[in-house]
Amino acid sequence: MPPPAGEVAPSGLEARARRRLHGTAPFTRAARLLIAQALEALTVVVALASLVFFALRLLPGDPARLVLGDEASAADLARVRATLHLDQPLLTQYGHFLRGLATLDLGDSFRRPGTSAMARVGEALVPTAQLAGVAVALGAVAGIAAAVAASGPWLSSRTRAWVERVLVGLAAAPLVAFAPVVTWALAARARLVPLPGDPDAGPAGLLFASAMLGLPLAAHVGRIARASLQEVARAPFLAVASAKGATPLRVWLVHALPAVIGPIVTVVATQLGALLGGAVVLERLFERWGLGTLILDAYASRDLPVLEGAVVAAGLLFVVAQALGTAVHVALDPRTRGAS
Amino acid sequence: MTVRLASSTKRWLELVPLVVVLAASAVGLALAREPAGRLDPARAWCAPSAARPLGCGEAGVDLLSLVSSAELRAVALAAAVALVGFAVGTPLGAAAALARGRLERAVERACDLVQAFPSFILALAVLSAVRAPSRVHIGAVFALTAWAPFARLALAQTRVLRDASFVEAAFALGRARGGVLLRHVVPNLLGVVAVQLGSTGAAIVVSEAALAFVGLGPRDGVSLGGVLDQGVAAMLRAPHVLVVGAVAVFATSAAMLVAGRAAER
Repeated sequence: MPPPAGEVAPSGLEARARRRLHGTAPFTRAARLLIAQALEALTVVVALASLVFFALRLLPGDPARLVLGDEASAADLARVRATLHLDQPLLTQYGHFLRGLATLDLGDSFRRPGTSAMARVGEALVPTAQLAGVAVALGAVAGIAAAVAASGPWLSSRTRAWVERVLVGLAAAPLVAFAPVVTWALAARARLVPLPGDPDAGPAGLLFASAMLGLPLAAHVGRIARASLQEVARAPFLAVASAKGATPLRVWLVHALPAVIGPIVTVVATQLGALLGGAVVLERLFERWGLGTLILDAYASRDLPVLEGAVVAAGLLFVVAQALGTAVHVALDPRTRGAS
Repeated sequence: MTVRLASSTKRWLELVPLVVVLAASAVGLALAREPAGRLDPARAWCAPSAARPLGCGEAGVDLLSLVSSAELRAVALAAAVALVGFAVGTPLGAAAALARGRLERAVERACDLVQAFPSFILALAVLSAVRAPSRVHIGAVFALTAWAPFARLALAQTRVLRDASFVEAAFALGRARGGVLLRHVVPNLLGVVAVQLGSTGAAIVVSEAALAFVGLGPRDGVSLGGVLDQGVAAMLRAPHVLVVGAVAVFATSAAMLVAGRAAER
């Protein structure tokens, strides 16, 4: 039997729980959260960039030879080495690289002299951000719709079990295997969507590619949202809403959904990395211009400044999207704003 | 007794898909009358026939031998990487949870980050440093992130175990932290953590195929992703190539996923 409250001095754990419950001043809390997030984002970007930097310089093989090929003349090799600062000690090179990163200036593209690497990256970032953004929107809406449909009173229990099974199957389905097959069926056979590589694909092409990219995300969101909705299904506040005359749709969408937005945002955030990888695969499949195509292009032509810039940009996209996710969570779920 | 028998039979049943995939690949290799990757432009993109049950791909490569050997290699790579991740991640997560405090939080956060990380982009970036990646390079790149889910699971499970009376007893008897970790904690979380082997293996199969699909496959060209790439290129002319590649990736990754459940207690 636990001792009655107030008779024992609060342990460290209890004190911490109390502090968390009542909160320190709201401003310092928010500021601390923000600083922690920014530091973490910075760590991710710098770690990714450093990994690329050291991989290119420490793995066996001469980067200058990698760029120019085996038949390059000594003078050309020396010129590339000087541009990449390869003739200096490793730490000095790293300093150069970090400075370039901070000022967003990684030098000129090797393959398109006169164009800065970052300009090429910026150009490619837009279509990829579009693709990923539309995919997240489609995936979240479809997943939430499936979860609400499978939680509310509209479907028979057998249909609900099927929705769950389809979600599990889709979540495990490998994008690289099903996207080409679906594209073949819908584009080459049924002629419903533009063929890969069609220059006039336009919005239909973007929508189709995003739908493919968003499908696994929708399955993950649907599973988590359904599980969370089931947890709150018997909560008194939903019974109150029903008793006050709200329709089932209103009960689930307006009252239940905001309470489970936290897990949904978390699952979207954990899927972002996979989403970026999927974007590379889909850009290659649909021959769309974007960050993934740029990375592959820079890889094939050994355009090191562009490659470094593109990878860093992918990391940046990932970090910014994660921060956005946290912001959405805070905006939608009042419980995250802290007491007092 | 019957219940226990049934559950252990069921556990063995979960290995069946993987065994079937491996056996099919071995039979396919035996049936194919030529080594994987032999080219014969005269029969390029030929449809499935009695002589070539899966048909031919680009430049007349026999799909049966190509897919069979690619499947065996993909499973071997996935198993190796998953085991490395398991061997590194499990003790790391357990040690962090046993140490508590700052180290525990740091490892937990690192796992979260690595798991959400664009690991495919990371793989592209690191592989760009080698001229033509080999399977060892690809495996090493995947191992960079494969430890995280194992560490995460081991950490969560050790949090439960560290307050168990047998762990406290071991500490009270004067055993050092490393000894407790190896003798008492790790053996008790193997069952839970081993389940992750299947999903990590399946993820590696898919990632390897995706890398080869975008053009960063192993230099011998024997990869399921390479088959998919050929299939997309000849989508209108020879759709069977695409279907064969997709079914192979699907079957191999699903078999790994199901096999992982055999470790479940």
